[in-house]
Amino acid sequence: MQEIALKGFGEVLKTVTFRVRRYDPEKRELAKYMEYKVPVQMGMTVLDGILYIKEHLDHSVSARYSCRMGICGSCGMIINGKEQLACQTQILELNKDLIKVDPMGNYPIVKDLVPDLSKLFRNHGSVKPYIIREEEEPKSEFIQTPEQREEYAMFTDCILCGMCLSACPTNATDELYLGPQSLAQGYRYITDNRDMGFNERLNVLDSKHGVWRCHFSGACSEVCPKGVDPALGVQLLRQLLTSNSFVKYKQKEATKGPERKSVSGVS
Amino acid sequence: MRESRIMFLQYMTGLLILVFGSMHFLAISALAPTSDKILYLYNSSSGAHTLIGGTLNYYSVKAVYTSLAWGSVFELLLTFLVFHVFNGFRVILSEQFPGGTSEKIITYSMLIVALIIFIYGSNTIVVMLNGGGI
Repeated sequence: MQEIALKGFGEVLKTVTFRVRRYDPEKRELAKYMEYKVPVQMGMTVLDGILYIKEHLDHSVSARYSCRMGICGSCGMIINGKEQLACQTQILELNKDLIKVDPMGNYPIVKDLVPDLSKLFRNHGSVKPYIIREEEEPKSEFIQTPEQREEYAMFTDCILCGMCLSACPTNATDELYLGPQSLAQGYRYITDNRDMGFNERLNVLDSKHGVWRCHFSGACSEVCPKGVDPALGVQLLRQLLTSNSFVKYKQKEATKGPERKSVSGVS
Repeated sequence: MRESRIMFLQYMTGLLILVFGSMHFLAISALAPTSDKILYLYNSSSGAHTLIGGTLNYYSVKAVYTSLAWGSVFELLLTFLVFHVFNGFRVILSEQFPGGTSEKIITYSMLIVALIIFIYGSNTIVVMLNGGGI
């Protein structure tokens, strides 16, 4: 059984052409595509292909990556026209002889396949993606039931790869638009019963370039590699903000557990 | 005003335009008395002329436009339309030209044009209510 599973490993099964978009803003040249022939073995991902190019064919090709297992979200790029994580995209599963690799859209390019994600992180920070409480240091734990966690659980899977912003058509035209990632994270923290920061986030989320600018194309949810549905988060946030116009939204305050006692010097 | 309130009005006026627009259409077609219709539908296979679905004659049109009730409906429809259309334009243009100064220019331009259209449209409705214009 194991022999069947491993059949083909280590063998070159086919040669695939990688058409990689090359652009270096420092050189002041127009972007161009360069082609590289990559021998493909079973289990090879697009990221493996790019690393093969760097190692054997052209070391000047630039790409960002880290964990190589779909956790860090560093290697997002447009592969054959669709935003995907290069480390999670199997070359053989693409079933193409030509693989076109572009950097993510709607971001400035640092070099080749490396986008500048400053905008993503700036927008993410603007919705205050953390639990906001009045007390400086809680003296006891906040009780949260599994059902209460379920309300926002999906949105905690976001790995900040930024592919939703790349696919978002509104983000392509409106550079001030918060984007699906930040809006979904805003919703995630508002619905967390430990959080009390609804009013602090309101000015950003309910602004001219906030939640109301979504055209609901759903591209963000389509490309999310972690199965998060940012478009759903945006719609739920709209619902929440609309009802807040009539009846002030009251965050569900978590009940507190027993006060912590100091144990051998650790408070 | 918060964007959520503006957009709530945008959605509500969209719905109301559908309702009042349908009333406007029905007033001069299906709701109108059959005997008032001057244009007939011609069935090419049977060769028959029917009164159903025709257009109102001049005096019936005038009767609709000089009625205070219908005038109010048209005025409301105009209000909803002007808000919906020009707020829609504001949103579209703000997305195309984001930024503090450009958005201010867009908002005030839309407000001025909307006011002009509203005044012109209201004047037309009032003129018609007084039996003029048609």
